[in-house]
Parts: sequence; structure tokens; C-alpha cells
Amino acid sequence: MKQPSNARRTLRIVVVTTVPGDIADEAVLAAQARRNTALRIGLLESGYDIVASLPADIFLPERIAQIQPDMIIIDSESDARDVLEHIVIATRDEPRPIVLFTDDGTPSSMDAAIEAGVSAYIVAGLHAERVKPVLDVALMRFRREQKLLDELSDTRRQLADRKLIERAKGVLMARNKLTEEEAYQRLRSMAMNKKLRLAEVAQRILDVEDLLG
Amino acid sequence: MAHAFVAGSDRPEKAVIRAGFMPLTDCASLVMASVLGLDEKYGIKLELTRQHSWSGMRDRLLQGEIDVAHVLYGLLYGVENGIGGAATRMAVLMNLSRNGQSITLSRALARQGVTNLAQLAAAMRKGTRRYTFAHTFPTGNHAMFLYYWLAAGGIDPLRDAQVVTVPPSQMAVNLAAGHMDGFCAGEPWSTRTVLDGCGFTAATSQDIWPDHPGKALGALGAFVDANPHACRSLIAAVLEAGRWLDESSEHRDVAAEVLSSPAYVHGDRHAIAARLHGEYENGLGRRWLDPDPVRFFDEGEASFPYVSDAMWFMTQHRRWGLLRDDVDYAAIAARVNRVGLYREAAVLAGVPAPSSLMRRSVLMDGKVWDGSVPDTYISSFPIRRQAMVGA
Repeated sequence: MKQPSNARRTLRIVVVTTVPGDIADEAVLAAQARRNTALRIGLLESGYDIVASLPADIFLPERIAQIQPDMIIIDSESDARDVLEHIVIATRDEPRPIVLFTDDGTPSSMDAAIEAGVSAYIVAGLHAERVKPVLDVALMRFRREQKLLDELSDTRRQLADRKLIERAKGVLMARNKLTEEEAYQRLRSMAMNKKLRLAEVAQRILDVEDLLG
Repeated sequence: MAHAFVAGSDRPEKAVIRAGFMPLTDCASLVMASVLGLDEKYGIKLELTRQHSWSGMRDRLLQGEIDVAHVLYGLLYGVENGIGGAATRMAVLMNLSRNGQSITLSRALARQGVTNLAQLAAAMRKGTRRYTFAHTFPTGNHAMFLYYWLAAGGIDPLRDAQVVTVPPSQMAVNLAAGHMDGFCAGEPWSTRTVLDGCGFTAATSQDIWPDHPGKALGALGAFVDANPHACRSLIAAVLEAGRWLDESSEHRDVAAEVLSSPAYVHGDRHAIAARLHGEYENGLGRRWLDPDPVRFFDEGEASFPYVSDAMWFMTQHRRWGLLRDDVDYAAIAARVNRVGLYREAAVLAGVPAPSSLMRRSVLMDGKVWDGSVPDTYISSFPIRRQAMVGA
């Protein structure tokens, strides 16, 4: 297949593996090991680079912070899903796609999972040639949603900033008998002198106002 | 309401209810409702499936692969408020248990003379190394109790310590290996570390909040709206199972036997039974009969889905920055906790239900929580995540 001209750098993929002995049920563990092998073969045959295969232990968050992968893949039945959830919440300002792999690949459950925030499902036994499109779609979808979320949070932040600035102006006007324009200029020069954002200066003024009553 | 809900127009919309549970002692009432056939008495059939992680349980609920779940109260409200994922309307049908979780510290700490919270805080203030504590889910009950306990001792859990999520089955091995200093989790995992000799019980969750809410019976809001009769039957069946569990120690022995099987908790029967009976051994030679052990019924008090209980978890989510903005705590809790449906089920099962939606609790630091002024309650904690500009 022809490579697109603007080929992006290789995806950095981390596969999280279950620590043997965690799960008492040997059948579950064996099924996970089988899925894991199939997945790795699928990834390698599709030309993906697995930067690390990490055990789902207490050091996982630190290792992921060091490696900064583009995508994390984990077995849907692993008890380490909750460790990953910790990472998802702790780094929710810089989210990355999480892909689950599973035996159960009914399309409805995949769609619902994706609605719920999982980026994609890889079904065990998926042929190698299918792994790549699934991951590509997952990544594309993730990036598009991030862009929307970023725009939304930018708008929210601007609104919140504006509210803070308005309130701080009110405080300055009342305390120092300033006009609105004078209060705004005062805020601006404080921000420039202290090399802070206008909203940060406003917050400080409001904090002081809170303290002094 | 003397008529039978089971027949006629009140017939359950769904004959089979698929329920997820985690292999923990406090799944007892849900499991026993099925084992004792109480589900069929109310015209439904419980289909239980064991889950391997809270995240997996949540996803299955969201995907509709399971209908109801034995789930961390805090987790449900995390999903309701969109913490770490898309917000989805959830429902609490009832409270499944009270009390019976623990904070375990490593034996290595005990050897250095740290056997209680004050000594732990003193050791941590010396600042010679980083301390690590584990819980079971970022928005869950164990995280909130662990943070509360540390903060009550003057330790800021997010600044003075490293906090990690660890599956309960890995707690003992990590404690023994010295990878962490302590953890908060449910049973039988706390007992297991005491029996293994790698940890000791530094506090029970009932020390932190006597009669605190535990696991909830949770579902999607949409599921309850579409299946009110089936949900009412389910609540009634689980209420009966809870009553049966609290009735006698013989019943709890039977439950321990059932739970110990590989199909459910898969653990040592005696380890499960001891704390089910309130028989505690802290691992440092202290033994006691706890007046507030895990309870499933408590004359209908333990199972009532108090609105103030639900609000408490949200106040703690806000306190630690998981919730980034104030929300209408009372309105959300009143919508999610299906008190009306619960009351109907209580009538059906002949169980008394408290008249108030709120209850008054005094926690370990002397603070009173009665659901009345959540904003003031949150800002009354000296240790909390401070609001940040633009955050």
C-alpha cells in the first residue's frame, strides 16, 4: 500500500499485561495470556512498534509517565483496568487513547464502550490486516474528540476568566473609589508588572478580599 | 399499598436481571438473594456475573451488558458527574452494606513504632522518604476514606504522600515487598494481609465514620426508568437477604461458606466469616468484638439510600478536586437515589424505612455531616485541594 506523503511518526504503543497470580481463576488468566499473544502478533504484523510491554503493577503509573505513549492497550478482563483508570483521571488534562482487547466483539458493545470513553475495542483473533484500521480509527476519533473538548474548555475558561475579572474590578471600584475603566487599567498594569494573566491577578485580589472580608 | 406488586400491571418488565458483583465479602446480600431463591419469590431471576475490575463493571453497566451492579457508592457518583469520562445518568436503588472496610499499614511500619495515625503523621513529617498508600478506585469509597483518615491526622494525601490504585488482590504482595506503606480496601483482603503477617489493621472504616454507607446497588438511570417493577422486586429480594444475614450468626456462617466458593469471593471461609461476625484481630495482638461490624440490614437503616450519604461522596470528590466545580449536591443526590422506589419495595418486603432523607453523622474528626450545607462543609476542611485559577 502506498504511504501517505505526510506520514506521521510511528505510534508509541504500550501493552499492559496482567501479573500472573493476581487472578485466582486460572482459566481467566490463560484466556488473557492467549489474547495477549494474539494481540502482539497482530500488532507486529501490522507494523506497529510496541515500545513497552508493562506489567500491571504498582509502578505502572510512573512507567507510563516516563514513556508517554500515544496509546495504551489493555485486556478488558484485567483487574489492572482500575490502575489505568487512576492514570486516566490523574492525567485527564492530557488524555491519551485507551484501547481494550477482548473476546467479546459484538458491535453493539463496542459502540457503547466507545461512547463511554474507551477509544476502541480490538477483538482477539482479529486478523492482522484488521488491527491497523481499528487503531487508525481509534486514534483519529480520539484526536477529533480532544479537539472538540479543548475548544469547549477554552470557551469555558474564557467565560470563567471574564467573570473573575468583572468581580475583581467591582472590588477595586468599591474599595478605591475607581471608575470601571480605572479599575481595569489598574488590573492590567498589575498583571504586566507581575507577569501574570489578567485572571490570575483578579483571583489574587478576590482571595485578599475574602481574607480581609 | 396492600396489593401484590408482582401480578397484573406491576409485573416485572424483565424476568431476568443481570447483576455484576465484585469478589468481596459485602456482595453477600446480592449473592444470598439469588442463592436463597428470594429473587424468584418476587418474580425475577438474578443472573450473577463476577467482575474483575471496577472499571470493567462500570463499562458493562454503561454498555447494558449487566443491568445492576454491586458497586462503590463513590464510583456511581463519579460517573454521574462525568469524572474521567462522559457523564451518564445513574441510579442508586439501595445501600447494600455498612462498615467493614479497613485501613491496613505495613508490619515494617509497626516495627519502626508506627502503629496509629498520630505516629504515622509524625514519621511522615520527618520527611526522610516518600510514603505510598493504595486504594481501589480513584473516585471510590476506599479512596475517600483513606484521604479522610490521613487528612484527619494532618496529612495532605495529595501533597504529602503518593497515592495509587491497586487491585485488592495485589495489596498484600505490594505491602510485603515494601512497595507501599498502607492501603484501604474491603474484605476479605484486609484480613488476608493480617493473616499473611505483612500488615496490621490501623483503623476500620467504622472508626472513620460509624455506620458509613458502603456498596450501593447501582444501575443506569434509564434502566430504572424503563423497568421500575423489576427494580422494585429486586430491592425487595435483596432487602430480605440482608435481613436474613443480620438475623443470626448461623446465617452469616452459611453466607461465609457460600461466599468462599470459587464462584463468588473465592477465599478462605474462616477469613471471610471472622469479620462478618465482627471478630477482629489487628495483627499486632489486639482482638476485639466490633460493635459496628459490616451490616446488611440493621432494621432497614443500613439499606436505606439516604440522600445525605450520596451527597457526602460528592463533597469529598469536590474536596479533593475530582469535581472541579460546585454542583447542586442535594438535587443530584435526590434524583439519583431512588428513595420512592425503595420505599415501595420496603413495604413489599415488610421492612421499616426511615422517614427522613437525611441523617446526622459524626465522623472521626468530630465534624458533623447532615446534608444541610455542603459548600460550607467542604470549605470547613483545613486540608483540601485549593481552587486554582483557570482550573
